Amino acid sequence: MVLNSLDKMIQLQKNTANIRNICILAHVDHGKTTLADCLISSNGIISSRLAGKLRYMDSREDEQVRGITMKSSAISLHYAKGGEDYLINLIDSPGHVDFSSEVSTAVRVCDGCIIVVDAVEGVCPQTQAVLRQAWLENIRPVLVINKIDRLIVELKFTPQEAYSHLKNILEQINALTGALFTSKVLEERAERETESQVNPGSERGEQVYDWSAGLEDTDDSQLYFSPDQGGVVFASAVDGWGFGIEHFARIYSQKIGIRKEVLMKTLWGDYYINMKAKKIMKVDQAKGKKPLFVQLILENIWSLYDAVLKRDKEKIDRIVTSLGLKIGAREARHSDPKVQINAICSQWLPISHAVLAMVCQKLPSPLDITAERVEKLMCTGSQTFDSLPPETQALKAAFLKCGSEDTAPVIIFVSKMFAVDAKALPQNKPRPLTQEEIAQRRERARQRHAEKLAATQGPASVEPPEDGGAPETSPKGEETKGGEHQVEGETLKPQPEEGSSHESFVAFARVFSGVARRGKKMFVLGPKYSPVEFLRRVPSGFSTPLDDLPPVPHMACCTLENLYLLMGRELEGLVEVPPGNVLGIGGLQDFVLKSATLCSSPSCPPFVPLNFEATPIVRVAVEPKHPSEMPQLVRGMKLLNQADPCVQILIQETGEHVLVTAGEVHLQRCLDDLRERFAKIQISVSEPIIPFRETITKPPKVDMVNEEIGKQQKVAVIHQTKEDQSKIPEGIQVDADGLITLTTPNKLAVLSVRAMPLPEEVTRILEENSDLIRSMEQLTSSLNEGRNTQTIHQKTQEKICEFKRKLEQHLTGRKWRNVVDQIWSFGPRKCGPNILVNRSEDFQNSVWTGSGVKASKEASRYRDLGNSIVSGFQLATLSGPMCEEPLMGVCFILEKWDLSKFEEQGASDKHNQERRDVVQEAQAEGEACPGRGEKGGPQDGGSEPSEQKTSQRGESSLTDCYGPFSGQLIATMKEACRYALQVKPQRLMAAMYTCDIMATGDVLGRVYAVLSKREGRVLQEEMKEGTDMFIIKAVLPVAESFGFADEIRKRTSGLASPQLVFSHWEGTESPAHRSRSQGGPCLPSGTSAGCAATGSGCRDPLCRVLGQAGGPPECVPPLGWRADRAAWCTSQWCGRARGSLLQPCRITTVYVRRQVVPFLTFCSQTGPFLQSRI
Amino acid sequence: MSIFTPTNQIRLTNVAVVRMKRAGKRFEIACYKNKVVGWRSGVEKDLDEVLQTHSVFVNVSKGQVAKKEDLISAFGTDDQTEICKQILTKGEVQVSDKERHTQLEQMFRDIATIVADKCVNPETKRPYTVILIERAMKDIHYSVKTNKSTKQQALEVIKQLKEKMKIERAHMRLRFLLPVNEGKKLKEKLKPLIKVIESEDYSQQLEIVCLIDPGCFREIDELIKKETKGKGSLEVLNLKDVEEGDEKFE
Repeated sequence: MVLNSLDKMIQLQKNTANIRNICILAHVDHGKTTLADCLISSNGIISSRLAGKLRYMDSREDEQVRGITMKSSAISLHYAKGGEDYLINLIDSPGHVDFSSEVSTAVRVCDGCIIVVDAVEGVCPQTQAVLRQAWLENIRPVLVINKIDRLIVELKFTPQEAYSHLKNILEQINALTGALFTSKVLEERAERETESQVNPGSERGEQVYDWSAGLEDTDDSQLYFSPDQGGVVFASAVDGWGFGIEHFARIYSQKIGIRKEVLMKTLWGDYYINMKAKKIMKVDQAKGKKPLFVQLILENIWSLYDAVLKRDKEKIDRIVTSLGLKIGAREARHSDPKVQINAICSQWLPISHAVLAMVCQKLPSPLDITAERVEKLMCTGSQTFDSLPPETQALKAAFLKCGSEDTAPVIIFVSKMFAVDAKALPQNKPRPLTQEEIAQRRERARQRHAEKLAATQGPASVEPPEDGGAPETSPKGEETKGGEHQVEGETLKPQPEEGSSHESFVAFARVFSGVARRGKKMFVLGPKYSPVEFLRRVPSGFSTPLDDLPPVPHMACCTLENLYLLMGRELEGLVEVPPGNVLGIGGLQDFVLKSATLCSSPSCPPFVPLNFEATPIVRVAVEPKHPSEMPQLVRGMKLLNQADPCVQILIQETGEHVLVTAGEVHLQRCLDDLRERFAKIQISVSEPIIPFRETITKPPKVDMVNEEIGKQQKVAVIHQTKEDQSKIPEGIQVDADGLITLTTPNKLAVLSVRAMPLPEEVTRILEENSDLIRSMEQLTSSLNEGRNTQTIHQKTQEKICEFKRKLEQHLTGRKWRNVVDQIWSFGPRKCGPNILVNRSEDFQNSVWTGSGVKASKEASRYRDLGNSIVSGFQLATLSGPMCEEPLMGVCFILEKWDLSKFEEQGASDKHNQERRDVVQEAQAEGEACPGRGEKGGPQDGGSEPSEQKTSQRGESSLTDCYGPFSGQLIATMKEACRYALQVKPQRLMAAMYTCDIMATGDVLGRVYAVLSKREGRVLQEEMKEGTDMFIIKAVLPVAESFGFADEIRKRTSGLASPQLVFSHWEGTESPAHRSRSQGGPCLPSGTSAGCAATGSGCRDPLCRVLGQAGGPPECVPPLGWRADRAAWCTSQWCGRARGSLLQPCRITTVYVRRQVVPFLTFCSQTGPFLQSRI
Repeated sequence: MSIFTPTNQIRLTNVAVVRMKRAGKRFEIACYKNKVVGWRSGVEKDLDEVLQTHSVFVNVSKGQVAKKEDLISAFGTDDQTEICKQILTKGEVQVSDKERHTQLEQMFRDIATIVADKCVNPETKRPYTVILIERAMKDIHYSVKTNKSTKQQALEVIKQLKEKMKIERAHMRLRFLLPVNEGKKLKEKLKPLIKVIESEDYSQQLEIVCLIDPGCFREIDELIKKETKGKGSLEVLNLKDVEEGDEKFE
């Protein structure tokens, strides 16, 4: 065949009935791309000799190097059969599980698919997955059983064995299809049941339960693959052959004289032929007879292979002549039998013919799109088709009609965006010149050549030609170029590129209805767009031009700029694309992120989002090698995000850029892309920072050996802990109950703070309602300023009441009496899961009180001070004393706040305004004056010196030597909170993922093994109805999740795939804590002792993070080991003297966030060094 | 005097010597390496952890113990432990290279952490990670000075980094409530100190919500206090104006 010209393709595109949009799906390495190669070679795009070796569709370098396909790419092929010309839009898809998103994008734009199965490996996990995807998208599959040559050459099967093997595979696949079908039927039935439950009135009378499940009623015979229906091709793409039953049926009906229809039915299956009687029997009457398929088909192929592999020249010749083939001399003489087989078979049973014939015959054209599929595409989520507005429903007809009239609405679905080097675009590409132009140029070149000869000073001419950027108008450049490309025809210069954008995005799309024309205005509908919304905003029958429509969310207008015919790595420019075709659209990158629906009518709903088999789960943090290249990285990541349908990119609160990919291979590809295409910078990749939260717990009731801690002991413990409260400096009062009393540096205010753990439910409620709290905060602040602009919405009011009621419900008991009414603030950031409670008598500013109370002017000053205290609380909750991580689930109670001295000054201040100038006393005296501590002390100017001092202060109270008073209050409050925490048993909380794993029953054990190894906890396990899949729900610490998905996939050979979603924070009770936790800080030097004593692995999250579990020896992290990005350790050998005994220890000090945390000192005893020391 | 032989010699290994000169005499004590610094900074409280032995020497490496009368003449006591403590706190130590190295490294990291804490990427309003800052500091060849506080140096580093990369101190969000008559005048004075004014409201009082560089806070605070004679008030709405939560690229 000859290379089809572009015009021919354009011609073919117009005949919608003869278009087939197909994709090739299979497990990795089952030969998709090889098959695609064979099909492409039939069009003469590549040589048939190279078919199977070139992997034409793998245009990326890493695809070629690794030998796996990583993206789906399309090519249009021409196929002529029985006088009809067909256009086949073939899409090759990747088989690796990491790229299953690419499969989804391919499946969406197709009407049918070829499922390829390796004859040796049979059905593999991805085969199941792609079958499921095809099923979900309602596209019709045909089957190619590939690599049959391996059965002959590698496994050395006899034809009989091969037959039973093939039968087996076919049964497996049909079983899978059956399972999909059953689950669908069951689902539908369940739906119907719920519906009937909703409106039970109609069927009340009937009590007969329908046990049949509807399975029997539904016809499923069409679903299954069977060779006699023509839906199966047996092939070896590498050797270039393939056949359907039909091929042989035709031959043998002539040879044996049995009707073709009969042969079609009997060639596959347990049918036997009686050659003498020319009869086909159902049962094997003479034992040892072979089924028809073996006798008539397989044996012939086997004997051919046998002859070639044994180099039986005569036999080969005989076979070749009997088949009427012509083998080129070169192939015949070739020493490699593979080449010979290829040469013979590809002529005898050309695979492209077999496959394409089947495709044309069995798979639907775009015109045959089923109503069911259309409805499915149009209804997102739980919507039903009937609920769509009538304008939208009307579009269904257009879908079904797939008409190319001008009146037909244009509907295009963009399933992915892919990046193309701008140079590769047709309009920028050097295109071949016409004859006249070539002649012209030649003439010019000749002239110039003559001139040059005349000048005979040639050195300047040999300048290498530069592509792209350089202005190409200089005659010299043209000349050299012309000389080089003489043979292929001269080239036109590419358009000078604008800016530095080397990557241009092309949308991978399909026209579902109407004709896509260049320059046509279209609506771009994002995945969240709703036609209902549009119809509401825009009156029906609008006639305004598209440009000045009111803005509707998730909708934009664009003009179709460039349309392309996708030809693998090549693109060909088109002017218009008739319906039913796959096409590329340029210039959409500003409108479409990953996928979108384009429509000429705004009433079109966006198509259902693509359903991805694999969700992205592998997370890494990406940073530029050179910090100054941050902007490039961000830009590159944005491009990557657009170019890859599956990747997710986040910026975390910590400022990290996190890349979430579907798997390791996918990650590798993304990073390569980022480095070489999109960002073009060096990047470094690491595990992302694991977040933690700090909290406190109740003091334990039992000690390490589960003995109850008596009251006496408790007191003793408190005394002891007080002694080693080395963290708490002098001058701070701590009472036995953990009440901290702290004075500001200028001694004007005294704060008493206590920390208490909040019950878990309360923390949960607070977390859930953080948005509500935030809106409450905004409300109060606006009220504070007397701006009543925001009126409280009724609903919000109700919500607040509900929230308060819930809190009250959970905060019961003596300790929590009235607490809810005294809540002052939440933190951190005023909406977090920590509470500040004010227990002082004169407190009235709780979060619940609205405007009324605060209006008083008197409160204004008071409020400023209050604000400072709240700020202090906010700061304290933002970073805890242990690791500077945010707090969670802690209630700080401000038991007393003695601002009397300050107020007193404020009061006297007013009195003595006029006397101010007289007084010139040192301020320090005033602060140091001890006698004025009591409440209700001299207020109204009773004592002269005090008055003078305070009046002086009135001016400068906020600028004494300790800085502004508000700042002092903030700092004091913060410190008080920190100390209050430190006297309680502190805990770290680890982030937890919930993890949903779908796995088949046989790999369940391995899933559990991986889960338990990584500290996961299984919550529930249930079987999915109608399948053999189990769904396991588990929780897993985030710290353990790196590599988890990969491990689970490896261990289960891809049969289980986990999905991780952040769920909650969990503090784990550790034995290490219990040993010392009676009031002391969480991880004192006793940690290791605790671990050692219990002997088991330490379950503390911090401990785990630091030392990867285990007792003392394991607890010692390796030198320079990094616990977290912010924590690091050093470790040295030093001595520890205990009495007379010298005990060498390895002291590892862990620094957490620039703070030396001495209580994280791990010690371990190690023998050998004892010697070296003494 | 005993005979100086290898067998009866107790040799102290892994020693850091702390020296002190008093009354014309030199006294030394034997300590464990690294521990002296810990003692001085207050991290280490246990004297036994620091001292190899409680005796005071004239020369540690030769093992010559100081004479009692010398001790009394120099320190006025012969309580060896007491003297040890004195020497520990006041004597001069030879800092080993490893100690110095770790100290420098720690300071380097401290500085990076402070910078990362204080600064944001002005484009995204998000912080940089410590690792990135560390790398940037290495890129500009920043050398740590041990005699300056880390905070001071961090501010210096920020200044230097600004030339290399897009980094800025996280802004502080403030709200001023100023009496109207003085407000206008004051606003002009405040203007150079304010980075961005987010909202202004002239109902009974002039209310301004703005972003400032944290370095100017004190100045602004003082200015307001002075100009309005205590009537104006200033409220810190947000210490660090950074983006919260995770953001997905769309």
